[in-house]
Amino acid sequence: MVKLVRNELMKIFSRPGTFVMIGILILMVSVMGGIVKYNKNHEDVKVNANWKQEYQTEVKNLEKNIQNSKNSQEIKYFKRDLALKEYQIKHNISPNQDYTVWSFVNDASGMISLAGLFTIIIAAGIVASEFSWGTIKLLLIRPINRGKILASKYVSIILFALLLLIVLYTFSSILGVILFGTPDNAVPYLNYIDGKITEQTMAFHLMISYGLKSINMIMLATAAFMISAVFRNSSLATGLSIALMFTGSTITVLLATKFDWAKYILFANTDLTQYFDGVPLVKGMTLTFSIIMLAIYFVLFQFFAFFVFKKRDVAA
Amino acid sequence: MSKIVEIQNVSKIIKGRKIIDSLSFEVNKGEVFGFLGPNGAGKTTTIRMLVGLIGITSGDIKIDGHSIKTDFEKAVGKVGAIVENPEMYKFLSGYKNLVHYARMSKDIKKEKIDEVVKLVGLTDRIHDKVKTYSLGMRQRLGLAQALLHDPELLILDEPTNGLDPAGIREIRDHLRMLARERNMAVIVSSHLLSEMEMMCDRIGIIQTGKLVDVQLVSDFVQGTEKVYEIEVSNNKEAQKCVKGLFPDMTVQVVENGIVAPLKKEDIPLVMKELIMADFQIYGVKEVSKTLEDRFLEVTENKEAAVHG
Repeated sequence: MVKLVRNELMKIFSRPGTFVMIGILILMVSVMGGIVKYNKNHEDVKVNANWKQEYQTEVKNLEKNIQNSKNSQEIKYFKRDLALKEYQIKHNISPNQDYTVWSFVNDASGMISLAGLFTIIIAAGIVASEFSWGTIKLLLIRPINRGKILASKYVSIILFALLLLIVLYTFSSILGVILFGTPDNAVPYLNYIDGKITEQTMAFHLMISYGLKSINMIMLATAAFMISAVFRNSSLATGLSIALMFTGSTITVLLATKFDWAKYILFANTDLTQYFDGVPLVKGMTLTFSIIMLAIYFVLFQFFAFFVFKKRDVAA
Repeated sequence: MSKIVEIQNVSKIIKGRKIIDSLSFEVNKGEVFGFLGPNGAGKTTTIRMLVGLIGITSGDIKIDGHSIKTDFEKAVGKVGAIVENPEMYKFLSGYKNLVHYARMSKDIKKEKIDEVVKLVGLTDRIHDKVKTYSLGMRQRLGLAQALLHDPELLILDEPTNGLDPAGIREIRDHLRMLARERNMAVIVSSHLLSEMEMMCDRIGIIQTGKLVDVQLVSDFVQGTEKVYEIEVSNNKEAQKCVKGLFPDMTVQVVENGIVAPLKKEDIPLVMKELIMADFQIYGVKEVSKTLEDRFLEVTENKEAAVHG
């Protein structure tokens, strides 16, 4: 199995296109860094010395709101805000922070969708290309179960996605340190879970955040992989997955305003950050629900891919 | 001689059409078996079933006793094959292509790769990208890929396709050597009939999914009787004259004379008769039937039987 994955990685990294993708990713982060740096130089940082007083009045407002509101979702959101603000006042954590490396790494997480795009392209081609190259014939007459071959291809996609994420995280960290410097005193990230506030280091929090934000890309890459294996057509797989990537969440949000069943759509569940710092898309959705839905979609995609790939007559 | 491949009553139905109809034959160790048939007869389909690329509707194929259906990994481990054109990863070097396939079989060492490369004569160019290779070199790389794991059965679909005469001869010598020295069984499909005649020990003819005939090449080409062409003036009259001697014989009129399936001892008699009747005889020669003639004969007979 390790050998098979090595084979797949060799094929991925022997093509110039792969390095172009990594190059574009690095380039885009650099451009973004440049723009942020430029804007920062031309704008004065507003230091609000009275933040504590402002927070205290806000806290009072929030308390009132919690009493008046009848919407449980809303109350939850207010409570979270309240807890955070109280904690900040108590521990003297100013919201007026300079733009530092961590802010940049956080902003760079927007590039995860670009990494997702590239992963989709690789995933869409990994099975379909073998058919269009004709190499599938020589690949499938080895003394290896077809399922293993397909599994090694999927593992390679995940490794590739992971590599892109690591490149993005490390490069934006390095660039962030160079352009914006490290914060003078490390400000922790405040985590609100079940009414309690805990502190997390920024680096760790951002890693978690990167992980959560890449769920969407992993699921779409899995979909592309499935389409690729079922239809043997990389253009179809790329096109469909990218179309879903751009429109999927928008359509889901629109549907969610009207229909309750929108919560069963894949895209309603890919953004797990909604449970940590936000409001769930549809009332009554929980983290467990989303994880179960994701698992169901994942198993379904894999089932189709493996079922069709194993049964297929290779006559191309 | 022991059997390496047993094809047992195999049928393949694709979308309601019977592509292969109860095909059965066997191939022995150390033998070069030619698989012959017109386009669309089911050669490639049979070969694909042999290596497990497509499923078998009914019947079974056993390679060294292992069924390709139920014991795929063991069965296909004994097989090296090129199915149609040897398509390789063009963006990899020839060597990396071989490394790729070597990783997919058990215990293939670096030395083995070098040995195979040397055998097919690609040592100089093996580290170049495959996209720079000529068709002949790709063909050889394909052969190298098929020989990596010392298979007991080698299956080649049109192995001499696109090769120059020297290349064809080289492949032919390779195959004969592999069959003789390593006791490998080789199945070759080709439409180049003269090639088959030189390469194979036995030939199976397949037509519309059915096996028409399996014969030793020597028997196959010779048939039972010899045919003589007599170059003679006024060929139509000459035909009547010979018919007069042998009323049951089919005597054909050709451009410069007549063709008749005669026995050797009858030739002087025919000559005498023709000379007496004042025909001008310019020559007599034996026409040995080539594989091509036999092939067309066999397949045409079959077709006539089917349509008649």
